[in-house]
Amino acid sequence: MASAADVRSILSLPATSSPAAGPSHQPKKQSTVSTRKPEGISRELYSLIGSSAPALAAQLAKPRLKQKPNLGGGGKVKWEWRSFKNGARSDSLELGHWVKATDKPNADYQFAKYNVQPTVYEWSQDEYSRHLEDSEWTKEETDYLFKIAHEYDLRWYIIHDRYEYPNGPTREIEDLKDRYYSVCRKLVRNRTWAGDEASKSQLLLSFQYDKEKEILRRKYVASLASRTPEQIQEEEALYIEIKRLEQNERQFKRDRENLLRTIAGVDSGLPDIVEDDATLIVADPKKKKLKGMDLDIPQTPVLTAPVMKRPPTLNKNAVYDATHCIIRNDPPPTTPATKVAHTPAYLRSFKIPYPKAAIAHKVNALLTEIGVSHSRLVMPTQANCQHLESVIDAATNLVELKKVLDKVNQDVEVLKNRLELREDGGDGGSVADAMETDDRGETAEPEGENRRSQSVMSARSTRSRKHSRRSMSVSSVDTAVPASTRTVVKRQKRM
Amino acid sequence: MVNYGGDEVSALVIDIGSSSLRAGYAGDDTPKAIIPSPYGYIPPSALSGDGDATMNENGTSEVAGKAKSYFGHSGPSIWRANMEIGNPISDGLIADFGPIPALIRHALEDVMHCTASEHPILVTEPSWNTQANRERMAEIMFEEFQVPAFYIANTSVLNTFAAGKGSALVIDIGQSVASVVPVVDGFVLRKGLQFSSLPKLVHAHARHLLTTPNPVRPPAELYPYQLISSKQAVEPNAHPRYTLREDRLAGTTRSWREWYEAREVEEWVQTVAGVLDQGWNDQLLQHRQHKQYEFPTGYNAWFGPERFGVGEMYFHHTPQLAGNPDIPKHIPGLITDSLKACDPELRQVLISNVVLTGGGSLFSGLADRLGSELARSFPHFKIHAPGNPIERRYGGWLGGSILASLGTFHQLWISREEWQEHGKAIVGQRCK
Repeated sequence: MASAADVRSILSLPATSSPAAGPSHQPKKQSTVSTRKPEGISRELYSLIGSSAPALAAQLAKPRLKQKPNLGGGGKVKWEWRSFKNGARSDSLELGHWVKATDKPNADYQFAKYNVQPTVYEWSQDEYSRHLEDSEWTKEETDYLFKIAHEYDLRWYIIHDRYEYPNGPTREIEDLKDRYYSVCRKLVRNRTWAGDEASKSQLLLSFQYDKEKEILRRKYVASLASRTPEQIQEEEALYIEIKRLEQNERQFKRDRENLLRTIAGVDSGLPDIVEDDATLIVADPKKKKLKGMDLDIPQTPVLTAPVMKRPPTLNKNAVYDATHCIIRNDPPPTTPATKVAHTPAYLRSFKIPYPKAAIAHKVNALLTEIGVSHSRLVMPTQANCQHLESVIDAATNLVELKKVLDKVNQDVEVLKNRLELREDGGDGGSVADAMETDDRGETAEPEGENRRSQSVMSARSTRSRKHSRRSMSVSSVDTAVPASTRTVVKRQKRM
Repeated sequence: MVNYGGDEVSALVIDIGSSSLRAGYAGDDTPKAIIPSPYGYIPPSALSGDGDATMNENGTSEVAGKAKSYFGHSGPSIWRANMEIGNPISDGLIADFGPIPALIRHALEDVMHCTASEHPILVTEPSWNTQANRERMAEIMFEEFQVPAFYIANTSVLNTFAAGKGSALVIDIGQSVASVVPVVDGFVLRKGLQFSSLPKLVHAHARHLLTTPNPVRPPAELYPYQLISSKQAVEPNAHPRYTLREDRLAGTTRSWREWYEAREVEEWVQTVAGVLDQGWNDQLLQHRQHKQYEFPTGYNAWFGPERFGVGEMYFHHTPQLAGNPDIPKHIPGLITDSLKACDPELRQVLISNVVLTGGGSLFSGLADRLGSELARSFPHFKIHAPGNPIERRYGGWLGGSILASLGTFHQLWISREEWQEHGKAIVGQRCK
């Protein structure tokens, strides 16, 4: 059935222009019908990509106009010119305005509700003479005040501006306010109150007025406003200065903190320094000025070392402390409360005493002998720590005493042997022997004097145990050792 | 409609100033009718001669008393033989109520084509208005125009409203009066009210500047176009070559001559004069552009530093002027005095709400200068000066338009009924 035209179209050859190709029109038409442009693709694009358009795009990109909002009604709104009466007016004035024809014709005027009248206080002559008498005010002037106050809806600046009572004294705004509120207060207080107490006291509170305070406040405002430009400038300059100093101080603090952390290590338990900037800013101008001058001195670490705030501990929480087993270590009051002298908080177990390294094993042996394990204190309370310390001290003393005793015993033995030798060998004394005797003579000196000299020496060297020990080891006086050791131990205990 | 509290009752707002009368519907943003306040009239004595039948232009002529009066834009500005010029306003107040009804009638009926008896009318008044004046205005409205309701509002308060504020320090520089008025909660603080005829001084200075001989240029002759028949172009600063209309010179009255001379000066001021925004500085002045201005005679010149000298008068008086106690106070002086009379607590509120308004404030650079003047004595301040000249010139009218279209305002109208019942006293009671 394939015609020449079909063959041509298959081979995509141009159609012949001969009239014989008449039927070729039919398939062409068919193709246009079958491959109709899907919606959502522009004509130009479709002609480029043909029927291979993605089906999805056609669905997604379907252009659709935004739905028009339905603003109600939809149809025409009929408006009509109506005259209305305003409920807030006392006369019969009728004004006209355009309203929707659907609105209710006899509704109240919608703006009448904003006409709110404040309560007007009135009084009889009797009431006035009983409660409201005031030497400064006449009844007539009080009446006038209330009239004008009501007229201007308690806008006090306006009332004060328009207040012109003939032959009356000049009144300040505070006088007017004070009189008005005091009269209101008295009236509310002395009249029978229909409502509950709470609303009455609330009303009274709203009439509270402190004249003195208001006058003072106004003076402050006036003085603030009457500053000269120079004063304002100075104040501003001082403010900037103080800001700068604060910043410097903060920087300094930060640097020092970093330094301390670097030196003492991160775990040194340094507390964060209290930032007391707030107190600097709130200070009043005079104080600010003073501070600014103080801080103007070139900075040295000593000057600007932040003053740490000590917690106020003095017996304040004694009961609380007792119940919660809090023991406070007050720093010595004489030392400046600077960072340097500050003792940070620490775990008590960090400060469990240890025996001196040199004799540690002996002391440990002693302790184990009596059944004390110092390395693991189960409950390191303050009392326990103190006990342990004293035990270790005692043990150390014992060990050292024993050591000295051993040495002395040995010396005694040696000397005894030597004496025996001398007694055995006759009087042929050698130089060495003579020296020995000298030595002995020295050692044989009375105990008391020796001890005194030792105590002087030890006093010089009580700075540290180590130091005193070294000085002892330097001195060649063997017999003096026990005594000096004793004093040193004593001093340590006292420490 | 309810959202912004508006409810339009087709009220009319009339704002009468020294230079022009503004009238329009409440709720609009610009007045429909702006007509000059000065009017022309031909006294009856002069009227008997040559007939005025030809001068009957589009109904602007009114017969007030026996004299023939001409109002509106083709009123005073058209030359008529023997026509005198009058201005009912002096120092911001209505001094002569005679032509006022005709002036208002011209604005309402000839320009706006509306009937006064159908509309409530709000009229403005300056802050220093007298009680008698406002009562007279109420009388005119109720008796002559038969208005259903009337209200008279203060221009300073209306300027505050036009700026969208309740409290403000209104600095209003008009054609004849500059005023500084503290407004708090929509009320004028009368103790702080300050005004002076400073614009007149500025005007006189400008006139003196133009008409006195100068080494650089000859004095300017202030003839208006109406009196010049022909002229030739001349070089700047050269003597003008023109011929006057001799036929008109004879019929020109003194008051008309004064009026047009003042107008020529004013035009020059509006075109050329300015204010240095940072205070007087000779060095800065050298860099400012000169401006050319041509007078109706063909005389033209370039104006340099002197054009700033005119505006400088608003802020600074030369020593020889300052010594004179009769010289009107300059604006910084007015502001200082006004604030001094106010409560110290209010000063900060006021100074941070300064509203600059009035046609005289349209001097180029005046708002900036005011800012730099205020900055000298106040650390914090804010000036509200509308950039739109219509808003600046007709701020009072605009505020009236806002006020009279508010729903809550309608309880304040003085109705006809109240007027008949209480008489004049109601004006003082209602319009505080």
